Order: sequence, then C-alpha cells, then structure tokens
Amino acid sequence: MRYQILITGFGGQGAVFLVKLLSIASSLKGYNCIGTENHGMSQRGGSVSCGIKIGDFYSPNIDENSADLIIALEKDEALRYIHFLNQKDGVLVVNSDDKFDKIKQKHIKFDAFAKAKNGDFDIGGLNVYMLGVAMKNVENFPFSFDEIARSLEIFNPKVSSKNTQILRLAMEEK
Amino acid sequence: MKQILMGNEAIALGLIHADVDVVSGYPGTPSSEILTNYQKLKDKLNLTAYAEWATNEKVGYEVAYANAMSGKNSCATMKQVGLNVASDALMSSAYIGNIGAMLLISADDPGFYSSQTEQDSRTFAKFARIPVLDPASPQEAYDFVKLGVEISRKFESPFMLRPVMRVGHARGICEVEENHEFNPPKANFIKNTNRWAGVPPGPRSVQGGELLNKVEQIRDYNLQTFISPKIAELKGAKTLCISSGVASTYVREAIEENKLDAEVLKLDMPYPLPYHKLNELCKSYEQVIIFEEPYPCIEEQLNAPNLLGKFSGHVHQIHEFSKEKVIESFKKARLFNDSNPYQASKFNAHSIASRPPTLCPGCPHRDVFYAMTRTFRSKNSIYVSDIGCYTLGLNQNAIDSFLCMGASVSMASGFSLAHPEKTVISTIGDSTFLHSGVTGLINAIYQKHKFILLIMDNSIAAMTGRQTTPERSNPENIDIKRIVEGCGITCHEYVYKPDMNKTLDFMKELKEIYKTSDMPIVAVIREFCVLDKERSNKLLPHKLVSVDSDKCVECDTCISKYKCPPMSYGENHKVEIDPFLCAGCAACIDGLCPTDAFVLADLGEEK
Repeated sequence: MRYQILITGFGGQGAVFLVKLLSIASSLKGYNCIGTENHGMSQRGGSVSCGIKIGDFYSPNIDENSADLIIALEKDEALRYIHFLNQKDGVLVVNSDDKFDKIKQKHIKFDAFAKAKNGDFDIGGLNVYMLGVAMKNVENFPFSFDEIARSLEIFNPKVSSKNTQILRLAMEEK
Repeated sequence: MKQILMGNEAIALGLIHADVDVVSGYPGTPSSEILTNYQKLKDKLNLTAYAEWATNEKVGYEVAYANAMSGKNSCATMKQVGLNVASDALMSSAYIGNIGAMLLISADDPGFYSSQTEQDSRTFAKFARIPVLDPASPQEAYDFVKLGVEISRKFESPFMLRPVMRVGHARGICEVEENHEFNPPKANFIKNTNRWAGVPPGPRSVQGGELLNKVEQIRDYNLQTFISPKIAELKGAKTLCISSGVASTYVREAIEENKLDAEVLKLDMPYPLPYHKLNELCKSYEQVIIFEEPYPCIEEQLNAPNLLGKFSGHVHQIHEFSKEKVIESFKKARLFNDSNPYQASKFNAHSIASRPPTLCPGCPHRDVFYAMTRTFRSKNSIYVSDIGCYTLGLNQNAIDSFLCMGASVSMASGFSLAHPEKTVISTIGDSTFLHSGVTGLINAIYQKHKFILLIMDNSIAAMTGRQTTPERSNPENIDIKRIVEGCGITCHEYVYKPDMNKTLDFMKELKEIYKTSDMPIVAVIREFCVLDKERSNKLLPHKLVSVDSDKCVECDTCISKYKCPPMSYGENHKVEIDPFLCAGCAACIDGLCPTDAFVLADLGEEK
C-alpha cells in the first residue's frame, strides 16, 4: 500500500484538519503514515499545502510528480501545486467554478463555494465536503465512508455528527 | 502502545517519559508546540512539573540549566535563531556541565519556512562541543529525547536535540511507552565553587581540558552505540551515502524507488564523529556522497579522498532537501542517467493569485500600519520593525527593515543618528518588546535618541500559535505602560477601536508630540489577536461589510495600501469583499475609502 494525498488551500480553510483526519483513518486501517503540516507564517489567507503519505515511506514530504491525489480547497491553490501531482495517473479534485483553466491532468471540478453560499452546508465544513467529493469520485481512494466517519468521531466527537452529515451530503451529490 | 503524533507532541511526551520536570523556553516556529504540549500533558496527567514560557531563550536556558546543575532533568526549547540569543549561556554551560540532564531542543528550519536564516544548530553543538542527536521522524524524536537524557547524565554534558521543521511538524504513528511512572530526580545542589562558579583562568581552563576529554569519550560512545551496529548492517554497494536526520529519508526513498546501487549510513549523532573509523569505511566504496541539511556539519568532520558533497559541488547548499535534489546529486555523481522522475513542469503562473504571507482579516495591526503610513509619509520617514506577526506589515509597505528579535528599538536609535532629518518609527509586539526590545529602550532613553516606538500589544505571541506572554499571565505585576514609565518617560496609550478615524487621530497626536520632543516617544497600543477567541469575540463588532459599487472609483487605496485579504477586484473592476474571509471588524467603513464605498452588508441576503 502506497498512496500520497496533497491538500492545498489557503490559511483558515482547514487543510491541516484533513491531514490529521486521514492519519487517524490510516492508523485505524493499520497503514503506516507520515504527513507534514504548515504552521507559523501561513495564518489566515496565506497559501497552504500539506500532505500525507500512506503506507511505507520514509520522508514526510510529497515530491513533485508524485501525489496520487490532490484535494484543492481553492482553484488557484490547485494550479500552484499541480506539478506535485503524478502527471500520468494522479487525480486533482478541485473546488472551482466553471472558470477553471484548461489542464491536461485528470481532474474533477466541483463548486463547493456555491454550495456553501447557497446554505447547503456551513463554510467551516468546506474541507470535509471536498474530502467527500474526492471519496465519491476517486476510484482508488484508500478509505471508505464508514472509516472516515469513524475517524471523525475519534478526532472530535462533539462535531463529528455535523461533519459526517456534510461528508454524506458530498457523497450523495449527483 | 501506538499513537498518532506530530513530532513536537512526540517530543513533549518523550520529555515526560524521560522524567524531565522542568521545561522553559521561548516560542518560535517550528519549536513552539513542544512546550505547549508538555503543558497539556502535565495538566492531563496531573503531574507536578514546571513548564512555562520564559521572557527570552537565554532566560529559558538559564532557568532550565540551574535545575540541571542541581541534579534535576531539565529542558530548554527554542528555534535555531533563538539559540543565537541563548548561545552565551550555552557556551559556558558546555564547559561547566551538569549533574542532572540538560536538554537543549533547538528546532531548525531548512527551507526558510518561517525563519530569517537557515542556520544549522548541529554546527552550534560542534562549536560548543556538546553531543547532538538528529531525528528523522516523530518516532525518533520521541526516542532521542529519552536517549538524550541518558547521554546528558552519563557525560554530565548539556545535550542537544536538533529536529527540523519536517520532524516537528510531521505527523506519524509512534510506538510510545504505556503507563510510565513519572519519577523525576529531586534537586540537590551541592556547593562547589570551583566547578559552578569557576573564574578564569584557573578552574575554567581546567574545565576546558576536561571538556575535550568528554568529547573524546562521547565520540567513542557514538561509535559503539550508534555507528558500529549500522556499519555491520551495510551490504556493500558501489556508492555509500552518509546522511543524518530528515535528509536521510529523501536519500533512502530515492534509492529504493529507482533501484540504485547505493546504500545509506545514517548518523544519529552527527557530532562528535569518530572520523578515523568513518574515513576508513569510505575506502571500501567507489564513491561516498554526504547528504545533510542545511550545513556541511558531517562533511567538515571527514576527509576521505573519495568524498562528494557540498564542497565538491555535488550536493546543493541552500534550502531543504527533496528527492528531486537527491537525484540531481546522483546524476552529477554518474549514478543515475535518466531524466529526473521527481520533476514536472509548473503551471504557467500568470493567472494564479499570489498569496504572500499576510495579516489576518480583522487584525488590528493592519489599521495601525495603515494609519502610521498615512500620518508619517514614507519619503520623510524610516519604518523599522521586528520579528512577529507585524513583520507582515511588509505587505503594506510599512516596514523598511527588520533584523532579529528585539532589534527594532536599537535600530531605531541607529537610524535616528544616521538620519536626524527623518522621522524614525519603530514597531514591535508585546512579547518581542519584553523579550529583548526593553534593553534597547533603556539605551535609547539614557542616550536621548529621538524616534517613535509603537508597541503593538495584542497580549499574545500570535504568530507562533498564541502562547501567553508575561503581561497576559500576570497583568497585575507586569504592565508595559508602567515598564516604560519606570524608565522615566511618558507612555502614551491607545485602546484600539476598529474605527480607522480613531486610529488616525491617535497617530496625528503622536506626530504633534514628536515635534517638540528630545526623547523617544513611546506608545502602547492595546489590541487583540483575531484568532484569540477569548478576547476577539468580545472586541470584534461582527459586522460584515460590502461594497457600494456605484461609489467605488477603483482608486486602489484599499487594495494597494490597506490590503485586507477579503478585498479584491471583481468582474466589473469594482472592489468586492469575500464574505467567507471577512472577519467582521468593519474597520474599513469609516476613514479608509475616499468615496465611502464600504457599507454594512445587508445580512438578509447573506446566509
């Protein structure tokens, strides 16, 4: 088992939350994992990228041309880090409206901002929503709905039911 | 027992499992979560232990070290530039040694993610002649803390743990002790003037000689304990890669993924090295490449004829490692001839929004900087600033120079001497002022340097993760205003309001006072950090703002000078506000826009 997920976005969008969540899911499944997080200069609004390598790896960093999946919480942050995607087989899942640049890499586009603006879910759950979009659309995603729901519960039982609902909403989206 | 831990959490847990009960340090990314997590664990497990932030790194080191002199297990935490501040104490403590354990954790930042320099604390250990362990993962960080306590007690020497950002902020599964019985050693300071207060040249020169002996013993210990077992496991390949810490992980992955004829010797203790043995080992390989970040600490200790590394130009000299860089080195060494598998072309960046590090939406610093640059125009002023969130005032062109913690005050003195015709304005935060700005102020008052000092007091060390500051913890006793008054001058005070007109008025008052002064003009601005929920929830008006597009004339004041992240040009070339980013401070409504285009948002339309 070897799978590398890069999360990109800007400060305040909850990219680090997803890394923590996926590390819990990895451990539940008995996979090794190592990830890296941003702290310090990137607070609110700065560019953020962090990742998790699931399986047998040594280095905490995802290299260029290596990520199996990029979950981009914002469209510019998808393009900024697109060279980290495995150019042949990797998949980009991006929160974007129709105006996303033409790219040759495999990608799935979903306008989660519009959904949040519409009041379908709270903007604070954007990260979990995009994770759900990835889970629904990416064939070899390493975790099931139940495994992520269980990880949400372990991470923070207080808000897990709300987050699980957002996850389900994303996965039920047509 | 397995736990998922971030490196700095693993270190904190390691400290408890190593029976360390005194931890003192100063926050600095990427080291800050060590002490924070130790505090959390201590409270959760209900342990009797001391874990507090010191006013600066030197103070933190000295508080911990006196405990180690007394036989306790102690630790000081900081980042690499903080070690510069603590280095005076470190150098002497290496000579004198300790009875208990003295752990110095200095976190490095290869790649300059949140630091002014990329300096290598391992070379500082070499300079001070103390042993250093270089962990490659959260697991090793945990293990090495426990090992370090043993080493420090065994050799009566301060010991350094040198994690890098990719260890402290890495997250992984760690095997940790279960049900540790916390049993720290008791203090028992035994008076011995020759050792603990040895004056030069007599006792100190003796200690200098003893230190050299100690280094030889540790060198041998390093060989027996760490290196020999690893040499025994080497299988023999064409190329040997010598490495340490996180650098070794990139090398190992690159070799395995590309099936190269090379193997890795990872040095856990990169100083002091048994160089005779290692030089000898190098002879049995065609070539040896040394991979380390960021400085050539191992390379400087070895001198076999077939060594390749930073000196020979085979390994890069600045920025953190990546597998791409490792492969480039292998290509130069003719071990790899294909195209680099870890390279992909970047997206043509013209359409990507740039996101330089910036102050958070709603941060009072933004208003203070804006009012400052409006009142004291750039061409007549020199703006000096310091290390902390306010460094982000660079975006607003509110900073001409900054150097290191606390330097803004003494640099303002210097600039006022060089340019008496200009108004020199220094900005500094509360934690930084108390860290080392206060000494500069005493100097400035005593020598009557004329400048303006704005102490931007948000009552927290915000950038490093909102650690408490002396004034926040103990407001009855420590008050910046009274400290300034204690130096014999007036301290002007402004309690920040999210209303630009009020902030501008205060700046204008300072400008008037400055005209007739022959002393530094000092003001403390009482602010809050928007991420500090305890205060900001009460102080933010939570009013969302929108733009009246009929009034917006695209004058660019808000975009190029105020620079609040939610503000950007929309499709009709008028300014728009992103409701997801707006913090609701409403500071922009009055006094910012020349045509008053910012208005309260109609919340009926927004959900």
